This record gives sequence, C-alpha cells and structure tokens, in this order.
Amino acid sequence: MWNYSEKLMDHFMNPRNSGQLMNPDGHSEIGSPQCGDAMTLDIQVDDEDKIAEIRFMTFGCAGAIAAASALTEIAKGRTLDEALGISNDQIVEFLGGMPEEKYHCSVMGHEALSTAIDDFRHRRDNTAEHLECILGEMPENLAAAVGEGIINIEHVHPVRVYVSLSEGDNSAVAAVLESELRKRAGKKVEVGIIR
Amino acid sequence: MKVYLDNNATTRIAPEVLDAMLPFLTERFGNPSSFHSFGSDLKEDIEAARQKVAALLGADAEEIVFTSGGTESDNTAIIGATSINPLKPGFVTSRTEHPAILETAEYIKSRGHPVKITEVNSDGTINMNSLESCVSEQTGLVSIMMANNETGVIVPVAEAARKAHASGALFHTDAVQAVSKIPVDVRSMDIDMLSVSAHKFHGPKGVGALFVRKGIEIPPFMLGGHQEKGMRAGTSNVAGIVGLGVAAELAVKHLLEENGRTGLLLERLEKGILEKCPGAVVAGGDAERLPNTATVLFRGVESEAVMTLLDIKGVCVSSGSACSTGEQTSSYVLSAMGIDDVDANTAIRFSLSRYTIGGEIDYILEVLPPIIEKLRDISPYANR
Repeated sequence: MWNYSEKLMDHFMNPRNSGQLMNPDGHSEIGSPQCGDAMTLDIQVDDEDKIAEIRFMTFGCAGAIAAASALTEIAKGRTLDEALGISNDQIVEFLGGMPEEKYHCSVMGHEALSTAIDDFRHRRDNTAEHLECILGEMPENLAAAVGEGIINIEHVHPVRVYVSLSEGDNSAVAAVLESELRKRAGKKVEVGIIR
Repeated sequence: MKVYLDNNATTRIAPEVLDAMLPFLTERFGNPSSFHSFGSDLKEDIEAARQKVAALLGADAEEIVFTSGGTESDNTAIIGATSINPLKPGFVTSRTEHPAILETAEYIKSRGHPVKITEVNSDGTINMNSLESCVSEQTGLVSIMMANNETGVIVPVAEAARKAHASGALFHTDAVQAVSKIPVDVRSMDIDMLSVSAHKFHGPKGVGALFVRKGIEIPPFMLGGHQEKGMRAGTSNVAGIVGLGVAAELAVKHLLEENGRTGLLLERLEKGILEKCPGAVVAGGDAERLPNTATVLFRGVESEAVMTLLDIKGVCVSSGSACSTGEQTSSYVLSAMGIDDVDANTAIRFSLSRYTIGGEIDYILEVLPPIIEKLRDISPYANR
C-alpha cells in the first residue's frame, strides 16, 4: 500500500465534484498513455469568466482520483486564467502530500482542465464569429429593429451574448439575433440587451 | 476482518511445517556436511524430506535437488539444459511464463542462444501449433509452465513435452503454482525437469526443489561445495528443506479433498462477483484452471483503486502478478491473451488456499460490490 495522507484518502473515498454536467460550456476527454489512466472534465463558466461548476470522471488509482477531486476544488470559482495557472505542486500540497511515484497522477488533471478551457474558448470564438457576421451583414429585419440605434458586442459566452443598443426595439433585436444565431451556429444562444 | 486471498503470492506456513522446522533453527543447528555426527546426522532429515518431495511429484528421491526456490530452479534448468549440447543451444518458452523464465531467456539470448517464444490462445492456453513451429533440431530445452500464476490456466504439459521430445529437446515445466493444487506426475506427464517452491504451498520462503530426471546431467548453477551431489553448492538450508518436506507431505494428504473444497469456494466467489458486479468477467474463464485462482476483470474500474479500498476493508488481493506492483505496466500475461491495456488494468487476482473459509468469501462478496459500484460511478470507462 502507498503511504497516502488522510486528506488524499478522504478525496479518494469522497471525491468532490465527480460526475458530469448536463450542458457543459467546456468538455475534455483525455487519457494518459503513460499509466493507462483516463479522465473527463466538464466546466460551466459564468459571465465573469469564472468556473461556476466543474465535474470530473476518472479511471485511475486512488492518487489519480484524489488529484482530480483536489483540482476541481481548487479551480472552482477561479477565472479561467487563474485556473490554468494551478500547478501540480499546488494539488499535491492541497492533498497534504503524495508519494513521489504518484506525482504523474496530478498531471492528467491539469491537462484535462486546460483542454476543457480550450474547448470553452473554441465554442465562445465560434459564437462570437457568428455574431460578428450577423452584425456585419445586418439583415433587413435586424436593421429594422435597430433603427437609428448603434449596436455593439459587449460580452460573448458560448451560449449567451450581450450587446449594447443605444436606441431601437430591445425585444425585437434580441429575437432577431437569437433566431439568426440558432440558424447559423446551430444552437440556442441567449441574447441580452444592455441599454 | 482480515481476509487473505493472495495465496499465489505466498501462503501461510502450516503449523505442522513450523513445528517440524523449529528444532533445526534451535538445538539441531549443525551442518550436514560436517564430519561429526551432530552435523552429519542431519543428512537423514534431508533425505527424508527428499523422499516426501519425490512422492509429491511421482519421482525418485535421487531426482530431487534442493534449491533456494522457484527462481533458482528455473534458472538452473534453463541455463544448464541449454549448455549441455553445443548442437542444441536453443530455448523455447511461452509468452505468459513467470519472469524467472522470461528474464533467463533474455539472458541466454544475450549470450548467443537462439530463443523462441510461443504465442498463447485467447483463453490463456498454449497455442500448440505455435509451439510446434518454434521447436527445431537446434532446440535444447522447451519450458512451459504447468499453470499460470495470474490466471490459474492449466497447460496440458504432457502434450507440450511430446512436441519437445519429437525434436530431441528436453522438457522443463515451472510447476510452482500447480504443485499441491492439481495432481502432478512427472512420469505420466513425461517431464524431464520441474521447478517447485515451498512457500507457495504452506512451506517456508527461500527453499524449493528442481526435479531432474535420472540420466540427465546438467551443470550446477550455484558453484562451490559438493552439496546435493555437486548439483547445488551452498550449505544445506536444513530447516527450510525439512519444512518443504512436511509441506509436500501435507500437500499429498490434502490434494483431493482440500482442493475440491477450495474449488467450491472459488466457484462461489466467481459466481457471486459475476452476479453482483456489472462489467466483471473472469480472465481465461473458459479454460481449465487451478481450483484456487481467478483473475477478474472489473471492466471500467482501475485495479489499484479497488485494491486500495479492499485494503481498508482488510482484504488482501493482487492485480496481475505481484512482481509488477509499483510499476505502471499492464500485465503481459493478459496482453498475450489479447486483452487490451484498459481492461488489463482492471484485473484483480483472487487466490485461495486450503486455509480459506466460506466466511471469508461471504465477507468479500459483501464488501466488494459497493466498491466496484462506487468507482464505476465516477469512471469514464464504465460503459466501455
């Protein structure tokens, strides 16, 4: 048996944030060819770019499961950039130490997180591109709803966007954008209007 | 509750064995090679043990050489038998042998001996066609284990021996896991050499034997004094040898009855696991196996995580071969059977002994299913 700390055993036996999210904003599936472990990670990101929800699934030893659990605890509530900065040493320290032979277990969680964040950013860029395209083309019904107003992109999230509108019909603009985004991005994107 | 189901790694010493050994670790500490009777009288005890080991194998006493265990017996057989005839330096063995065989094969290969490794079938049995194609006029020795340490799959060694003899090669078998669990008879099985280890059947660690059929002369592996008729140098491990003898005697006595009982317990364990643990499958389940060994793939659940939780519950099992623990490699035995790495990493070996009781099996069937369920719940491979 490995000499595991009490805290590590607690995270192994009672993993925090295990499972999957129904509609994740970012998702990753990775495997470690080095030891055969595998992991999935789901994240939900709020409008301040912070990780609001996080869930993991792990196929691996006690160290791998505990390290994944610890990572999710550390990452939750942090901004994406902060989360990317979480080091393996931080995970090991959080767990009250880890046998040296098991250090590699914490690496997988890090890779899963950065891949999920990449996935989130990719989805966001995709939504942003479509939105920019729509505003650039300014279809007739959108132009009618905006009227004399000025429309600007304020914040983009994969499934939520905020635009500012100086004048015009808020709900008509939102309805047109939502329907155009559904057509082009193939998903439901909520549109919020800021005056 | 402490439940020990890792008897293929090692077994408890039988009380009768310990009792028989103690005088040789206390008052009767002499060296049997000494001139004085205090030492030389011990030769009788050694010869009595030799008779008992011979009886277990269906051999003659003079065909038994005491060694330090299975590994030394295997080393002696392979290095010796491939060096007696310069026209027959070749060695043939299988992919699922113990490292004591495979590492020695690598060693003699590096010394210029032709070495061929036969494939196994998906149920873990030896592929006889592959074996036949590996054996040639050059082959000096074929070594095929009698039963696999990880899966318990039994190999029809008599058939393998025939294939070896057809090309004029000698036949050795590593019977470390088989002896005491199934009947072994070197004559009817046509075996030339056979390795035995005491601690796998309730004897002490550090002692074993090599059966070498009369008429075969191989050079010693350990060089030095003239002990064991010059076949194995080094002061005789009297207490160990006496312990091995008593363990052999007990193995003969318990062979049929106790193995029948162990077999029923194993059956109950396997049936219970397959019923209660979704995704579970027995490796080599369709092949004939030892009555004490089952390796179960708990598909979707990594074996070390299972062992860690079982350890907390006092249950001792192993994943694949005990020798691989600490290394992050999947079992080469399971790989050779065509089981992929992900599934191989889910393997847990349960190995019983004649000291295993029904209550221990019931306890495992109570604590194991929730462990598997808990780990499957968080596994991305649960429905693989």
